[in-house]
Amino acid sequence: MVQAKIAPSLLSSDFAQLASECERVKEYGADYCHMDVMDGHFVPNLTIGAPVIKALRKHTSAFLDCHLMVSNPGQWVEDFAKAGADLFCFHVEATDDPKSLIETIHSHGMKAGLAVKPATPISAILPYTSLVQHILIMTVEPGFGGQSFMSDMIPKIRELRKHCPELDIEVDGGIGLNETIDAVAEAGANVIVSGSGVFGRKGEEKKVIDGMREKVDEAIQKRAST
Amino acid sequence: MSNCGLRCKIGPSILNADLSDLYGESQRLINAGADYLHLDVMDGHFVPNLTFGHPVVKCLRPKLPKVFFDMHMMVANPEEWVGSMSDAGADQYTFHIEATTEPGKLCRKVRESGMRCGVGVKPGTPVSTVLEWVDQDIVDMVLVMTVEPGFGGQSFMEDMMSKVSVLRQKYPNLDIEVDGGVGPKTIQHCAKAGANMIVSGTAVVKADDPAAVMNMMREAVNKEL
Repeated sequence: MVQAKIAPSLLSSDFAQLASECERVKEYGADYCHMDVMDGHFVPNLTIGAPVIKALRKHTSAFLDCHLMVSNPGQWVEDFAKAGADLFCFHVEATDDPKSLIETIHSHGMKAGLAVKPATPISAILPYTSLVQHILIMTVEPGFGGQSFMSDMIPKIRELRKHCPELDIEVDGGIGLNETIDAVAEAGANVIVSGSGVFGRKGEEKKVIDGMREKVDEAIQKRAST
Repeated sequence: MSNCGLRCKIGPSILNADLSDLYGESQRLINAGADYLHLDVMDGHFVPNLTFGHPVVKCLRPKLPKVFFDMHMMVANPEEWVGSMSDAGADQYTFHIEATTEPGKLCRKVRESGMRCGVGVKPGTPVSTVLEWVDQDIVDMVLVMTVEPGFGGQSFMEDMMSKVSVLRQKYPNLDIEVDGGVGPKTIQHCAKAGANMIVSGTAVVKADDPAAVMNMMREAVNKEL
């Protein structure tokens, strides 16, 4: 049975103090630190790369869930492995050979994740679900934090959960402790990325993380009992 | 050589500092006497490394409101980030001449956004490529790379000093920056050639006494200016 995992996105945190931000969310009960890597080419934003992860790793034992929104993900596997990333999640749209790339990621000692943008159908990733730690379904167009949740991604989550009852399904984009967590949890997502949904609620970050975990747990229990 | 107004400025590069505590590291260097901060932006396309972009600068700016941020843009499309870097609070936008087909237009765009305009040349690029733009008075600073851009900790390329000398001869009052393997062992070459803006990474950031290293380099440059 899958478990709830909450993965705050550091994209919405204080980038000038990443180590302390990461430790802070870990103290609040976060399972992963979701790190948004953007190269300004695959998406129109430029955030952080392996050198930042390497620096961060020295200060934290948090699980670093690296989401690579880059146009040549294969180029960075070694750098991220050496930097201490735990999971390397690349976009299916960014490579012609996801299977080889997954193998390369594993051979470098990291877990692999595979992500789909809103316009990409689930069929594009179905051949690879047994090879990866998780599938990431974007619920906004990747590139920026603070965007609005796309509820038309719900059928995709449902479809994937139907095909893969035991797979970690991660969702990312516009999710917070409101109707969005209800919707994604009910549809079958169990790994929840939330940026402004967590960091935007100053003083209530733990409450939000706990609240989202509860919703996912409830949905998992409900599916298990039906 | 008349160079009234020209002074030595030391700008540590934070590339090899603790990037997970940029604020702490930056404050430490400013407290040790840094005149400005040299921030290396790499997009993994222009150079084979990916560091950080404007969202990081935006977080750093409010914490260091008076510090001069010199953005070294090692990116394939420097035109794309002018607006966002300006919004993030960057003071100077230094793009590479090799990364654009319209340097003049880009210089103007940078200035219009309220930032100073710097133009950088890689080791393999002749300094003649920037002269036209300096002559048009649309360039505030020329950056002469003394290593191949992309990574910290590389060895200084002394043969790049002829580029610095050429620039200093032609433009007594131009800010000329050097970046790459610059430290106490190599500063004399830079000072003698006429550089006045000194980027130094490992030699300052990893020093036991960054203040002493910066003072030593400042003295060496001021002596020649």
